[in-house]
Amino acid sequence: MKRGSSPVARRSWTGLGSRDRLFVLYPKKPGGTYPDFWKVRKMALVQANLWAKQGTILLAGRPLAFWGFSADAGGAPTLPGPVLEATVGDTVEIVLQNPGFAQPVSLIFPGQEAVSVLEAGGGFRRVAPQYRDGAIVSLADYLEPEAESSLTYRFRAVKPGIYLYESGTEPEIQVQMGLYGILIVRPPGHDLPGHPNYQTAYGAGTGSEYDRERILVLGEIDSRLHEAVAQGAAYDILDFAPDRWLINGRSYPDTLAPAGDPGLPSQPRGAGLRVKTGWRVLLRIVNAGFQHHTLVLGGLTGRVVAGDGFSLVSPALDASYHKSALTLGSGQSYDVIVVPEAPGEYFLHAGEYHHLVNDDLFPGGMMTKMEVVP
Amino acid sequence: MATVDLWAKEGYLSTPDGNSIYFWGFAAAADAPAQLPGPLLLARAGERVTVNLTNLLAVPVSLVFSGQGRIEAGGGPARPQYDPDGRLFSFTDVAAPDGGTMSYSFTPAFPGTFLYHSGANPPVQVPMGLYGALVVRPADYDPALPAYKTAYGFGTGTEFDREYLLVTGEIDPELHRATAAGTPYPIHRFKPRYWTLNGRCAPDTMLPDGVAHLPHQPRGAMIMAQPGERVLLRYAGAGVDSHPLHPHGNHTRIVGLDGRLLQNGTADLSYKRFTVLVNPGQTYDQIFQWSGLGFTPENPIPTVLPNIRNLAVGEAGWTMWSGSPYLGRKGDIPVGVVSYNEAGEYHFMLHSHEEVKITNWGEFPGGMMTMIAIFSSLDPGVGVLT
Repeated sequence: MKRGSSPVARRSWTGLGSRDRLFVLYPKKPGGTYPDFWKVRKMALVQANLWAKQGTILLAGRPLAFWGFSADAGGAPTLPGPVLEATVGDTVEIVLQNPGFAQPVSLIFPGQEAVSVLEAGGGFRRVAPQYRDGAIVSLADYLEPEAESSLTYRFRAVKPGIYLYESGTEPEIQVQMGLYGILIVRPPGHDLPGHPNYQTAYGAGTGSEYDRERILVLGEIDSRLHEAVAQGAAYDILDFAPDRWLINGRSYPDTLAPAGDPGLPSQPRGAGLRVKTGWRVLLRIVNAGFQHHTLVLGGLTGRVVAGDGFSLVSPALDASYHKSALTLGSGQSYDVIVVPEAPGEYFLHAGEYHHLVNDDLFPGGMMTKMEVVP
Repeated sequence: MATVDLWAKEGYLSTPDGNSIYFWGFAAAADAPAQLPGPLLLARAGERVTVNLTNLLAVPVSLVFSGQGRIEAGGGPARPQYDPDGRLFSFTDVAAPDGGTMSYSFTPAFPGTFLYHSGANPPVQVPMGLYGALVVRPADYDPALPAYKTAYGFGTGTEFDREYLLVTGEIDPELHRATAAGTPYPIHRFKPRYWTLNGRCAPDTMLPDGVAHLPHQPRGAMIMAQPGERVLLRYAGAGVDSHPLHPHGNHTRIVGLDGRLLQNGTADLSYKRFTVLVNPGQTYDQIFQWSGLGFTPENPIPTVLPNIRNLAVGEAGWTMWSGSPYLGRKGDIPVGVVSYNEAGEYHFMLHSHEEVKITNWGEFPGGMMTMIAIFSSLDPGVGVLT
C-alpha cells in the first residue's frame, strides 16, 4: 500500500496485487487552521470482489486441496483469503462470486455491525440467516452453487481493528477448507505522514504506533478432511483431527519464504520478519482455526494493546499489559507491540509443541522467525 | 544465586494408579535423580544467573528461558542451531549427547515467575519432562521485612506471607513408551492420560515434598496457610494444554502475568478471578486469602458435623476433612481411626475444572487436583520456596 501526503491517495484494497483499485478523496477546507487531512475524511465507498474457488496449497512440499477466496476472476484462491482494508467511516461493499464453485457459499463479518445484502430487485436489506424446511442452512444470505450472478454485502467500517471474514455456510467444513480471510479497519489518517493517527492501528494515544506491521493468522488443517471433501467423499466433522498447523496459510519453513513467492501461488503471505532493534513491531495475531492456539513470542515480551479489535488504551486508563506468550480461542485476535532490544533470531512458535511439526517431525508447522538486526 | 548446575537424565515417574513411566528430566546433581518438574531456579532481578547444563541423554538438549533477554550460551549470544542441511534442531545452543555441556547465562530484568525448558526437538523433549520453573525475586526482596517480602517489589501490593508454585503438565504415556522403545510416535495425535501439578497426579500432589517413594517427583503441591494470610500462588503452564485452575473457598487476585506486574504507572490492573485458565508457556502470579466463614480464633462458628459415612477417612493424620471446619476443634473420631487430621485443619480443593483432568487415566479422583489446608497455627517455615 502506498503512503503519501497527497490529498489523493491511491490504494489497493487487496494488498495482493489485485487490479481492483480505487481512489479516496480528502476534502480541502479553505482557510482551515489544520492541515486538510486532519479533517474528517469524506466517507469513501470501498469495493472488493471475492471469488470462491477450489485450489491447491503446498504444505511441506505436498499438495493439498483447499477452498479459498480470490480477489479477481482469473487469480488463484489464497489461504488466508485477500486482506480487505478500509478506513473508519468507509462503506465497504464485498461482492461475492462463485460461478465455478460447486457449493453454496456466503460471507459473515464477525465484529461488524449492521451488515446488509443487496437484494435482487435492488436496495439493501439487513443480512439474515437462511433456513430450508425450518433448518438453518447458512448464517447469512448465500449464493447458490454455480450461480451466474453475484451477491453484494455492505457494511460501514465503524471502528478500527483486525477482524476475520469467513463463510457462514456449512462453516464447520467451509471455514476449515479455507474460506476465510482478514479485514483490517484503520483509523483515519493512518497513511498520512504528520497525521496523529499516522501508522497507528487504533489512532493517536492508543499505544499502537508501529514501524512495521505483520499479520499472523493462525490455523490448523486436517489433511484427511481436505482430501475427502475435495473428492466429494463423506467426512464426519466429529472425526476432526488436525495434522498441519499454519501461520498465514503456510507451515514452517515456508512461513519464512517471501510474500508472493512464485512457488506458493495460493499462499502469498509471508510470516517472517526482519526488523531493526528499537523498532515498534505490531504483531496482529488472529486465530482463524477451530483449536486454541498459543503464540510464544520467542523470548521477546510484547505489550498487548488491543484484543478482538478493541483498544485497551483510553485517556482514562491504559490497560495494556505485557505478555511473552498469548493464547487465542477460535476467532479471537490480539494486537501486540514488540520492541526488540537485542539483535538475533527469535522464533515465534506455537506453545503447543506438538504443533511444531511437519509429518510429525520437528521443525515445522506453526512457527516463524523474527530476525532482529542492529 | 550465581551458578546452578543441571543434568539432563532419564528416570521413571510414578503415578497413583501404579504406573511407572519412563521420562527425561533435569537433575540438580550428577548423582541425583531426574526431577519432574526440573529443579526450581531461584534468582534475583539484576543479578547474573549462570546455568551449566550437562547432558546425559542420547539426544542433544538445550535450555530456553522464557521472558529473559540477551541470553548468552557458550560465551556468546544464544543462537538457534541448524544441522548441516540448514534444518533447525534447537532454538538455542545445545549440550551434545552423552555427556556434552553448555553454559547459559543471563541477567533477569524483571521479577516474577518464568519457565525454562529444552529448546531442542521440543515436541518430544518438553512433554517428556525437560521443563522447570524460574522464580525471580525483586531486587529489594527481603523475607525478614514484611513490606519487602513481595513478588514484584516494595509498594507493588504483592506482599505475601507464604508462597507456592504449581507447575501444570500432561503425560501421554504412549509418547513415553515409544520414546523409550525408539519407535515412531504420531505427535499430532498427542493424547494425555495423566495431568500433573508439580509432576505429580492426585492424590500424590498432597504428599509432602521429598517423600521417599517418589524420588523423581520431589515437589508436593499442597497449599497450607493460616486464615487471612496472603498466599502467593504461582501457576506456570509447562505443558501444551490449557488448564482452568481454581481454588474453592476464595477467589484469587492476579497480580502478574508472564513475570510482569499488572500495573501501568499508578494504575493497578490486577483483577480477581474465580478460575484462571493456565495456558501453555504462560505464568500467573496471584494473591489468595482465605477469609472463610468469618473465622477468627475467638469466633469459631459451630456447624453440624457431616455423617461419618460421608467422610473420606484415611490413615492417622490423612483424613481430608477435619471433622469440623472450626480450626483447632475436632469432632467425633470414627471407630478404628486414631485421629482426624493432626491439627484439625480445614481442607478444600484446588483443581482443574475440566473434570476429565482430575482423573488418572479416567479414574477419579486423580490428576490435576490438590488441597488447600487452613491451619489455626502453622510454622512460618511452611510455604517457603526453596
